[in-house]
Amino acid sequence: MDIRFALETFWSLLAALPLTLELAATSIALGSILALGLALSRLSGILALDLFARTYVFLFRGTPLLVQIFLIYYGLSQFPAVRHSIFWPLLREPYWCAVLALMLNTAAYASEIIRGGLLSVPHGQVEAARACGMGRFMIFRRIVMPQALRQALPGYGNEMISMVKATSLASIITLMEITGVAAKLISESYRVIEVFVVAGVIYLAINFALTRLVAFAEHRLNPKLRAPLPISADLKGETH
Amino acid sequence: MNMSAAVTAPVAIRVHDLHKSFGPVEVLKGVSLEAREGEVISILGSSGSGKSTLLRCINMLEVPNSGTIEVAGEAIRLKTSSDGRSRPADQKQVDRIRSELGMVFQSFNLWSHKTVLENVIEAPVHVLKRPRVEAVEEAEALLAKVGIADKRNHYPSHLSGGQQQRAAIARALAMRPKAMLFDEPTSALDPELVGEVLRVMRGLAEEGRTMLVVTHEMGFARDVSSRVVFVHKGTIEEEGPPQEVFTRSKSERFRQFIKS
Repeated sequence: MDIRFALETFWSLLAALPLTLELAATSIALGSILALGLALSRLSGILALDLFARTYVFLFRGTPLLVQIFLIYYGLSQFPAVRHSIFWPLLREPYWCAVLALMLNTAAYASEIIRGGLLSVPHGQVEAARACGMGRFMIFRRIVMPQALRQALPGYGNEMISMVKATSLASIITLMEITGVAAKLISESYRVIEVFVVAGVIYLAINFALTRLVAFAEHRLNPKLRAPLPISADLKGETH
Repeated sequence: MNMSAAVTAPVAIRVHDLHKSFGPVEVLKGVSLEAREGEVISILGSSGSGKSTLLRCINMLEVPNSGTIEVAGEAIRLKTSSDGRSRPADQKQVDRIRSELGMVFQSFNLWSHKTVLENVIEAPVHVLKRPRVEAVEEAEALLAKVGIADKRNHYPSHLSGGQQQRAAIARALAMRPKAMLFDEPTSALDPELVGEVLRVMRGLAEEGRTMLVVTHEMGFARDVSSRVVFVHKGTIEEEGPPQEVFTRSKSERFRQFIKS
């Protein structure tokens, strides 16, 4: 492997890092809001909302992300109504098409992760909150959501890592993020190994940082993990 | 407690002709009950008799199909929704009345993401909007009273069942409730931990608190309560002061029940 060339490649690919991060961050952020809405719809007990969310998850989880990207980027512009709508300035941009596809896709997976988190909160704790006179919104905000988040975080970490990698598909619709730049460099140099190894290393570094970030958040959100440990002392006291 | 005072004390909770069904199963078939201020009422009955449902109807954790519930003279307003189910007419009223009743559950139901102290101050600060400093001060006094002041910064999962239940009692007391509802508070505890919880409850009874206690603890019912209510198949089968019903009950079923 040509180290000098690899290093040059590294700098070229690093220039594309902001776009990759931006794609990932935007779609994860927007997707999480949609995901929460979908999860709440599933749990709302309102048949129409529940069915909508089920169908949504079925469609977006059951079809390849690449197909979704193609449909949004090439497909939507076929409809005059879309071309004349107020969304056209956004939808004709490959960047926003990629964000839209990634966001819609991650929302489907994340909604199931969040739903699992919400369901993990013991019903008795909700009842105790009700018995204290808390209203629905307060119970959700102060009792259910903090615990659901904690429960959902490991799964959500997985999903975020998937999303970072999925941004590489945006290269197919002309976006020059890391994989897009890598493909261009290969077509110029025909040095597949160096370029893709370097690209892979960059993705690995992003996901390493992301993993640490999630672990940190998990630690912060999980007071049990950082609770003082006087229990052992108490247990000693209790044995006799 | 002075029995004659209890008869003339104002009514804290009045339940009248309560009916409750779960699907086709009628769990409560017209139950009426009155708890005067300062009374300690033990509600006994075999499992499935409807005694827990009766208690849970009082603070609307279960909505009765018909009948009335009054807390401190205020009737909880119910309405029939379009699907024929009974539901509270005014959720705000229900929330307010709930905040005036302390409830202790069989499975403690402490909020596991909060420390013991945070559990106790949560509702006073956020529901009653009391100043935090004041709530903390009161919470610490309550935790000392139930004997777990040293556990204030522990999370529920680090406590024994008995300590968790005492924390739950402190949490209910922190609302300065007009009455306390206990739903089998010692049934989930190891036998050696039952005593510490019953001691706390006995202390509350001696303070003159109004208490409705669904329980299997015959000793508590006999020694602490001012009145015993025996629920059987959704109706009140026997009712009276413990020294009366435990020695000469007219109900064959109740005599069977206390023998077993």
